[in-house]
Amino acid sequence: MSLLSDMGTIISTMTVGEVDFQAVNAFRSQAAWFVFGPITAIGAILVYYMYKMSPWLDRHLERSIVVYTYIVIAGIIFVGVLQRFLPFLPMQPAWSTTLPPMLFMVMAWFGCSFNVRLRTHLGFSEFRTKFSPKWQLAMLWLDAVLWFGFCVIVVTTTARVTANAVSNFMIVPGTNGLMQWWFIITVPIAFILMAGRVLENIIEDMGKYARGEPLVEQSVIGGDV
Amino acid sequence: MTDGTLITLISLAVTVIFMLGVPVLLVIVYWVIGCSFVLGLTLDNLGNELLNVFNKGFALLAMPLFILTGDLINKSGIARRLSDFAYSCLGWLRGGLAMAAIGACGLFAAISGSNSATTATIGSMLHPEMVKGGYDERFSAATAAAGGTVGIIIPPSIIFIVYGFLMNLPISELFVAGIIPGILMVLGMMVTCFIVCSIHGWGILIKLSFMRVLKTAIGAWLGFFAIGLVLWGIYTGKFSPTEAAGVTVGFCIIVGLISYPLNKLMGTHAETPIEDKSISSMFVVEGFTALEIPSIVVRSAQITGILAPLIAVSVVMQQVLSTMGAQETIGNFVTSMGGYYPVLFTSMAMVFVAGMILESLPVTIILAPILAPIAASVGVDPIHFSVIFLVGASIGFITPPYGLNLYVASGVTGVPYFRLLPYSSLYLISLIAVWVLVALTPELALWLLPAR
Repeated sequence: MSLLSDMGTIISTMTVGEVDFQAVNAFRSQAAWFVFGPITAIGAILVYYMYKMSPWLDRHLERSIVVYTYIVIAGIIFVGVLQRFLPFLPMQPAWSTTLPPMLFMVMAWFGCSFNVRLRTHLGFSEFRTKFSPKWQLAMLWLDAVLWFGFCVIVVTTTARVTANAVSNFMIVPGTNGLMQWWFIITVPIAFILMAGRVLENIIEDMGKYARGEPLVEQSVIGGDV
Repeated sequence: MTDGTLITLISLAVTVIFMLGVPVLLVIVYWVIGCSFVLGLTLDNLGNELLNVFNKGFALLAMPLFILTGDLINKSGIARRLSDFAYSCLGWLRGGLAMAAIGACGLFAAISGSNSATTATIGSMLHPEMVKGGYDERFSAATAAAGGTVGIIIPPSIIFIVYGFLMNLPISELFVAGIIPGILMVLGMMVTCFIVCSIHGWGILIKLSFMRVLKTAIGAWLGFFAIGLVLWGIYTGKFSPTEAAGVTVGFCIIVGLISYPLNKLMGTHAETPIEDKSISSMFVVEGFTALEIPSIVVRSAQITGILAPLIAVSVVMQQVLSTMGAQETIGNFVTSMGGYYPVLFTSMAMVFVAGMILESLPVTIILAPILAPIAASVGVDPIHFSVIFLVGASIGFITPPYGLNLYVASGVTGVPYFRLLPYSSLYLISLIAVWVLVALTPELALWLLPAR
């Protein structure tokens, strides 16, 4: 199939929501890059404006997702152990060991996006802090470009995994009908949000540069978040 | 250009962007992407692994849960009680408060499994008091950074979980094997601390009082109970490390929620001097309300959001290295060194050098699958090697230029990174001495494992 028809198949599949064999093949083709690259870029712009319009979402979206996923994971495992040892509680469900890892995956990537915004990903910034503001801005642009490239790659490749999971009706082991793709699809979504954060950060940096404010500040892991 | 030349150029390029301050996560990702192009590998593997590392690994879940445990024991006031106990035991010695900080790191590490949580908690708690007590602020911050290294050796430990997960070794046995080396690390650092403080005359001595020790021991009972619960559960096999982590999280939340109203009822304040506190008030910690839980969890979530993606991309990097035949090349180099001890010390040197430039998790994920089989082939016990490897990886937390604990300590104490280095290097000497001792004496790691 041609590139254009594959792109059309991917877009129509995402609109209709039904993934057949032909669609899976289209997702596997090079066309996926031409669809998900622009989707990531457009998504990043939309996310940026979403955060601009709603400061509450800007502050709480990823934070709430990771916090409540964290609490649910801990709760499932803790209750699972209690169910095993306390005879008056119902038996430990089979999904108590299969669902938490899926939630961990969700938490990890939304947490990654959260840290992009906080600029707390580990890095060796000793030299960067000594650069002139012009070079510091150039380094921040380098970060932004590299983050964005990473987002495009992950959105495209995990969209392929999502399509595959949908077409194979993969369910979470130990459950009756909990589809795996409901969890997997959160990863490309998390990376689109991340791309939005990258855009937000670089626009903020350019503003700081224009105002002559410090560009590179030491971030504190576990600091005021 | 040959593949080898291209891969060398890619490696040099990512080293440059690392030095320019690009996050380590991106440095690894772009190395993987570059090498994948050279080797003709599809990038789909990257996407697949970024999902599979998490959704197929129940064992890895212990990592976020032990990080959360650290924040919960800090917020509930249990960590403060443990450090009070350590100070009342060691405050009569020269450098007692600094030694108590290291002791408190050891006790904290026995409930939490995270080095950065240990450094951040003990550093933010005891640094101001150490400075008030006449210690040099650089030494105080370096003590918190060095003390945090035991966070991943004294069980439970995040890095043991990752190692066991990768190498298919029983995590509970790895935990038990870490106990004695972890205690030795604490003792080694205390000796350094005593010597440095004696030379400079730092610290205010307090009288050793049995009553004070007893009172603070009672005050720390919840901490001891949590330590006992984790070790008992894992040692007896009642629950897996992940479940042990879930149980301690549940325990800390219940304790925090029950203690808060009880503490309010008793009218005890955290700042009240120990001498003025009644014995009954020592049974209850400050605790927290249910509404505070999300704000506690968000700190843990932030650390997990940094470490978990790093684990995922490091796994992919390890796979690319395997495809390149790095395992064979490094294996041939290490094996060519000769027998048992040359292989052991070459491996240790590689871990040490890698720890200077990389975070300990990538070091473990990348090097462990390469070095462990070689060590096993010359007769090093896999559990013993895991301890040697991970003590080395933990030392990497305070080796410049890239020592995570140094950054964390610098962040929580406000002492600039480079100013920490003279004192952290002193701790480094004692840690390396313990490391060599552990390497030469397998019994230190294996003695508590009766089945071996």
